[in-house]
Amino acid sequence: MPSLPVITGLGFITSIGHDRATVLSSLRELRHGFETVEFFGNPRLPVKVAGTVKGFSFPTSNWRDWRWPGQFSIDRELLRGLAPHGVFAICALQQALAEAGLDPADLRDGSTGLFCASAGSPFMLGDFLAQLRETRGERGNPMGIVSSIAGTLNFNLAAHYGISGAVCGFVSACASSSHALGFAMDEIRLGRQQCMLVVGAEDLMGESIMPFSGLRTLSNNPNPATASRPFDRHRDGFVGTGGSVALVVESAERARSRGARIQAELIGWGQAGDGHSVAATHPEGAGLREAMRRALADARVNPAEIAYVNAHATSTLGGDRSEALALQAVFTAQDAHPRVSSTKALTGHGLSLAGALEAAICTLAVSEGFIPGAAHLQEPDPVCAGLDLPRTSLDEVPRLVLNNSSGFGGSNVCQVFRRPA
Amino acid sequence: MKPSPTHAPVVPLSDRDERIKRLPDAARTAFQQFQLDGNPERLDPVLWAILMDFVPKATMAIGSETPGATRLIEDLGFDSLAITEVVFFTEDLFGITITNEEIVQVRTLDDLRAFLRAKVAVRPPS
Repeated sequence: MPSLPVITGLGFITSIGHDRATVLSSLRELRHGFETVEFFGNPRLPVKVAGTVKGFSFPTSNWRDWRWPGQFSIDRELLRGLAPHGVFAICALQQALAEAGLDPADLRDGSTGLFCASAGSPFMLGDFLAQLRETRGERGNPMGIVSSIAGTLNFNLAAHYGISGAVCGFVSACASSSHALGFAMDEIRLGRQQCMLVVGAEDLMGESIMPFSGLRTLSNNPNPATASRPFDRHRDGFVGTGGSVALVVESAERARSRGARIQAELIGWGQAGDGHSVAATHPEGAGLREAMRRALADARVNPAEIAYVNAHATSTLGGDRSEALALQAVFTAQDAHPRVSSTKALTGHGLSLAGALEAAICTLAVSEGFIPGAAHLQEPDPVCAGLDLPRTSLDEVPRLVLNNSSGFGGSNVCQVFRRPA
Repeated sequence: MKPSPTHAPVVPLSDRDERIKRLPDAARTAFQQFQLDGNPERLDPVLWAILMDFVPKATMAIGSETPGATRLIEDLGFDSLAITEVVFFTEDLFGITITNEEIVQVRTLDDLRAFLRAKVAVRPPS
């Protein structure tokens, strides 16, 4: 009998809060984390809103200029190899370990692994490469690589915490940290590891967000209160965010043996590719549809048993439409009617962070007993007909919850969460 | 130890001001005096400040009171990464090139101080 992966710790550095209680109240009260921003100091940019990570400042690529909230402690030995999102990740992981009742010394015996996800840091990489180009290859900051490329999170966190179990980074764009969580579940289920740390993070910089403007996927709506409105017929793109979320996943046996509080059980996951486009979703959400079915099959549950779906919906025209059709195929067509919302309406879209963030939100939903509402939804897109999109958060206790994530190249990943008995 | 020949600096002087702006006042003043008169004996405060800035764990103050025989790795806690950062910073600040062979011969504060003084003394005029 495979071990059951369970979640025993969460950590949040997000636009809607830097601790569990604040994130929870933001979700219950549908309080968004958006502010007006000016990327690259350029007032002419059409993108005016982002999910800001309050209390952090990264004015240059030199860590000596960085600032973070005083409740977090970061060793200078660690700072030298970090990108801004690495700072977020350290702060999130400190919270998750504390909540799980784990001491950093507990992580070193080989029974704990670490799976991370970020896109790397275009901000740091840009400065590093500019220096190399300017000097025609003669000068390169010694820490330039490890602080900038995809993998910077796992390089730094694994070394800092002395992780000698499985260590890997996942790169599937906006499905990355969902992949990390899925494969972390398998590490537990296969008995390879007793505990897995899963960390998703992204910078919040013009260098990370504005490239999506070229794809015409960012909202140009200057109003923080309405810019992100997944499934609304007037949606015009996503609102970017950064931050980090960390999850402590461990075997149920170990969690029970050490008296840890089990917040959620991870009973299944699935993934499927669209096989369609490098950037656009399949018009009918074929890959996501299959990923949901595989996750439900892995969890051995019927669509009708799912009480809530945390949709990937980012507030883009095509992506939300594809997901709505996929949800109808998996649920509505089977006469199943789970509540559906995309919490990106409140948090913004965290790219590689998104899957971990929303997995943590699903964990809060089952452990705290509520369903996040579909914020900012005023006029549902007709393509959402038949979907149950609650306008407010609900005091309902969901037993089973599904988390959806989709990324570039048509990567789709879903997990099923169960409320502990 | 005989310093290797140096190359012309690749970092413009204006960038050096940017590099020292985070160092303590005493180090900045010493560096500016060195730029005026080229006397390498003025550089000790700069060296202490660089070491303090890059030492992985700031467990002890590094300064004129620190014994010259103090070892960078064993006593001060420098690791190979931090040493590459010191080398990189120092190369840019003084417009010099430091080879791997030179790096491995520097073990103590005295070694480092003597090496830096000799190195900047043979620096071509910029």
